[in-house]
Amino acid sequence: MSSIFKGDVSRRSVLAGAGALGAASLAFPHMAVSADGSVLTIRSYSDLQVLDPAFWLALPEADIMRSIYAPLVSNQQGDEWNWRPIAVENIEQLDDLTIAFKLRDNIGFTDGFGQMTADDVKFSIERIADPANESPYAGDWSALKEVEVKDNLSGLIHLKNKFVPLWTTTLPTPASCIVSRKAVEEIGGKIGSEPVAQSGQYILTEWVPKQKTVLKRNPDWAYEPGGYEEIHILPIEDPSTAELGFEAGDLDYTWTSVSSLPRLKENPPAGSVVEEKPSLAYVWLGMNHDNEALKDVRIRRAIQHAIDRQTVVDAAYFGAAAVGNGIIAPGLPGSRDSVTYDYDPDKARELLAEAGAEGMTVTLDILNQSERLTAAQVIQANLADVGITCEIKQNDSGTFWTLGSKDGDYFMNLQLVLSRFSMNPDPSWATVWFTPEQVGVWNWERFNNEEYKALHEEGLVESDPAKRDEIYKKMQGLMDESGCYVFLTHEVVGLIHKDTVNPGLKPNGEPLLPLFKPA
Amino acid sequence: MAELWRPIRKILREPLGALGLFLVLFVIFGAVFADLLTSWDPTKINPRDRFQGPSTQHLMGTDQLGRDLFARVLHGGRIALFVALVSTAVSLVIGIVLGLIAGYGPRWLDNLMILLFDAMKSFPTVMLALALVTLMGPSLTAVMVVVVLVTVPGYARIIRTQTIALKTSEYVTAAQSMGASSARILRVHILPNVIGPLVILASMDIPVVIGIEAGMSFLGLGVRPPTPSWGSILNDGFTNIRDTAWIAIAGGVPIIITTLGFTFLGETLRDVFDPRLKGR
Repeated sequence: MSSIFKGDVSRRSVLAGAGALGAASLAFPHMAVSADGSVLTIRSYSDLQVLDPAFWLALPEADIMRSIYAPLVSNQQGDEWNWRPIAVENIEQLDDLTIAFKLRDNIGFTDGFGQMTADDVKFSIERIADPANESPYAGDWSALKEVEVKDNLSGLIHLKNKFVPLWTTTLPTPASCIVSRKAVEEIGGKIGSEPVAQSGQYILTEWVPKQKTVLKRNPDWAYEPGGYEEIHILPIEDPSTAELGFEAGDLDYTWTSVSSLPRLKENPPAGSVVEEKPSLAYVWLGMNHDNEALKDVRIRRAIQHAIDRQTVVDAAYFGAAAVGNGIIAPGLPGSRDSVTYDYDPDKARELLAEAGAEGMTVTLDILNQSERLTAAQVIQANLADVGITCEIKQNDSGTFWTLGSKDGDYFMNLQLVLSRFSMNPDPSWATVWFTPEQVGVWNWERFNNEEYKALHEEGLVESDPAKRDEIYKKMQGLMDESGCYVFLTHEVVGLIHKDTVNPGLKPNGEPLLPLFKPA
Repeated sequence: MAELWRPIRKILREPLGALGLFLVLFVIFGAVFADLLTSWDPTKINPRDRFQGPSTQHLMGTDQLGRDLFARVLHGGRIALFVALVSTAVSLVIGIVLGLIAGYGPRWLDNLMILLFDAMKSFPTVMLALALVTLMGPSLTAVMVVVVLVTVPGYARIIRTQTIALKTSEYVTAAQSMGASSARILRVHILPNVIGPLVILASMDIPVVIGIEAGMSFLGLGVRPPTPSWGSILNDGFTNIRDTAWIAIAGGVPIIITTLGFTFLGETLRDVFDPRLKGR
């Protein structure tokens, strides 16, 4: 040490010093500053990119938007799918084609954009529905005829036809978040990562890309306040990393990886609560129909037969999740018990030989998460078994979620992609992403089937559960036939929170940020 | 032959040097004879056998996909040594050529090249790696390009400094007056006198290079799965640390052994060839 004080710093003394520091950090692992009681620190699986209800990209953005742009209604917490009013004093369906609403009287927009009015409701809903705006969420309002403004606070939502999923997958989602007409028009019609004219229970006050988003209670919100003074959202892509963060005391709440659930349920960290929720999400291996190497349906069908779905799911989730058979989770109309292709490597080899594609090479794009990588490596091994070389390409969330976009330059090069979509409790919210309108938006497989589209539209107006069940099963059958999909699982949702936190959760475990409260 | 044995004997006389040489030879042996030392395929998955501890069947246990960790470590050694030796050799060649040109060439060229070296050196390694992987995609080539770009400026600067010192020496002036070409002077009179310290420096850089490869693979920016790499094994270990510690140990221990081996060996080489620096 004396040599250091004399300024004679050698390589060895630096190494010795580093070693001592490391030992000290092991001896005192809890030197980090603990979270303040009025601050909730949670993890999101991706950083925010777009805070526009018409153009958002991932679920964490939806969570934030519902907190900062007051929606007409939002989901209720609990085990049943219900909704609760947020921006409206009352809202009711007068008949199949008309919904009347009246806004609460004193909801203001920040940045001097005045009071929320029925005209803002008209603007917010119609901009999503307007085909000219090419909103990926136009399907949520596909039945919209117009929003009629009755007075400053009241209006009528007119539909062209009956729309069954209105109260389950349209109104309680960002599709009913109200933005300020004046503010959005001033910035050219689209909101980016910086919100404008916030109006919700919270306001976004700070965003440090890839590090932190800070929501603070909106001081002008006159109704039930959010449970915490501040919510800090840390983007951590890998759930295993988030679990370590939770155990180190840096997080109050996080989703866990599915594969960790059995271990966490058996041995929950001290002072924590581990919960498992049924998931509506779906995970699948997609194949780009329009990619030159995959244009031949026999090659896509061969890949379907080459994948051992049970092994992929068991390996990735350590037995905590079951194999799924489509995009619609059990319990919803259209949920299936099986797919139309089986694991048959011999048949796969036969189809590849027929197509003259033996020894082909494909790329598989995945999100850089441990479970996805594990699943991808099993898929890679399965494909190798039938003579296909598969290169795995890991992407961070910012890159991954734009891979298939027609606005990018990669969508035609995309070959195989391992995806997971979150879901709302109506089968139409699963099928809508694979319609022809969504090609190059969320339909990265570029599956383009008119019969599928017609069935999707039929499902939107059909209220008989048995008939809907038939419609949605048929649609997934068409997806199987296309060869573009290998359905893997619906996962389960695992979450862990401190016992001092009472989380506000939808039945499928997705967070409702304003409903989180200290226990 | 006696010329070759003399430095080796000197190294063996130093306890740390002997240990370093032993560790380096141990790692090289494992990598070269990987196929003979294990019959397991390092990429063969068997999820039913995941997270097994060490046993006579799996000497270091298995990972989350049931792959044999001993086989993955040995084959990962091949990747680490391949990247370290090839990219260090490429860096040396480029660094020597650029350093000689900068040191022996006109002043304006020297200034320009120094600017270039400093600009390259100023890039943080991780940022450079991220930028390159964005352009090239994750691959072994990307790792090697990163290593070359990170190490070349240091080598070139050393060669340049030594060349500047030597170019005014009497024997170089004599060669110039006898009409020797610049290329001949650099090749015959300067290069042999400047290359020694660089080789020692390169041997000490090998653990750094192995660290870069392992770090990039740990972050998913290096070799692509299922190719085994110590960094990717370490990442698997980090991800599954609460299920088993054996994967992290299997990924970490070879990195420690190799780093220590090359560091001890490099430092002893330096002490042997330049006793003025001994102990620093």
